[in-house]
Amino acid sequence: MMKSARIALLAATLLTTACATNPQKYAWGTYDHSLYVYYKDPAKAAALAQSLEATISAAEKTNAIVGPGIYAEYGYLLLQQGNNTAAIDSFRKEATLWPESKVFMNHMIQAASGPQHKTAAKGSQG
Amino acid sequence: MRTLSSSLLTIAALLTLGGCVTAPPKANFTQFRTENPKSILVVPAINKSVDVNAPDYFLATISEPLAERGYYVFPVNMVRSVMADDGLNDANLVHSGDPRRLGELFGADAIMYISIERWDAKYAVLSTTVTVELNYTLKSSHTGATLWHNHETKVYQPQAASGGGLAGLIADAVEAAVTKAAPNYIPLAQQANAHAVDTKGTGLPAGPHDALYLKDTQDF
Repeated sequence: MMKSARIALLAATLLTTACATNPQKYAWGTYDHSLYVYYKDPAKAAALAQSLEATISAAEKTNAIVGPGIYAEYGYLLLQQGNNTAAIDSFRKEATLWPESKVFMNHMIQAASGPQHKTAAKGSQG
Repeated sequence: MRTLSSSLLTIAALLTLGGCVTAPPKANFTQFRTENPKSILVVPAINKSVDVNAPDYFLATISEPLAERGYYVFPVNMVRSVMADDGLNDANLVHSGDPRRLGELFGADAIMYISIERWDAKYAVLSTTVTVELNYTLKSSHTGATLWHNHETKVYQPQAASGGGLAGLIADAVEAAVTKAAPNYIPLAQQANAHAVDTKGTGLPAGPHDALYLKDTQDF
């Protein structure tokens, strides 16, 4: 009887671990949900920016890595708010953390540094 | 006793094997392995559903599973806005365009094109069925070749929880009506994405930020 109980336990363990999802690589905060809320009501861009800022500062405090794109998304919202200096800072962080983003981030940094910064990627058209 | 324990173990083993995924035939990864893309640009989805909000809502669900698989995923909302500013806000046009051009603009290795086939809730008095159906195509922005393709359908039908009787029937009808009024597609889209990306044999091979990068050729 003891034996079958142990086997049942083993079976249960196998079952619960079989589908266990791997721990996440990155800190995402409420990125997906905040984006969804923003798309539901595009007037809430400021709330999206706040939630990204909270995700970033929480991750930086615990030395966690934010998901790819988070710094860039935050930077873009700052750019839309007219805060170009902080936007550029955020784009630089994205490019440093993720070299894959360098081409895109350099376009954005250039656009945000110039006099015309509303239409960010215009410079990449030609 | 012996037969009981061994049959219990067999059942456990079978459940374990079958618990997560039924192994579909392995897809062809030859072109994918030739290029081993490191970064993915997700462009706005084509919408074949009747819900005009589906592409945006869907966009909110796609970054995490791809990034957690080990790829650099370009910021989806920023990409969407920048493309719209550049006049690239027609998803159909973007999907039929040259992936190499987009790759150049953003410095991306691969472009993910997603088509929303279904995103709807069907009401049948006592139960509402919510369906999300998606087509995923990853194309190389270096050669234009298709690197990977997948298709997912996820259906949600609330369980009829009534204990029977008229009261139960009314409860079911109310729940179905509520689901119909405010169907929540996001969990279905998340499940579809996770299954599309993570399933051995048909999902995406581990990307460069994953420990299994280039070490999972048996499965992919």
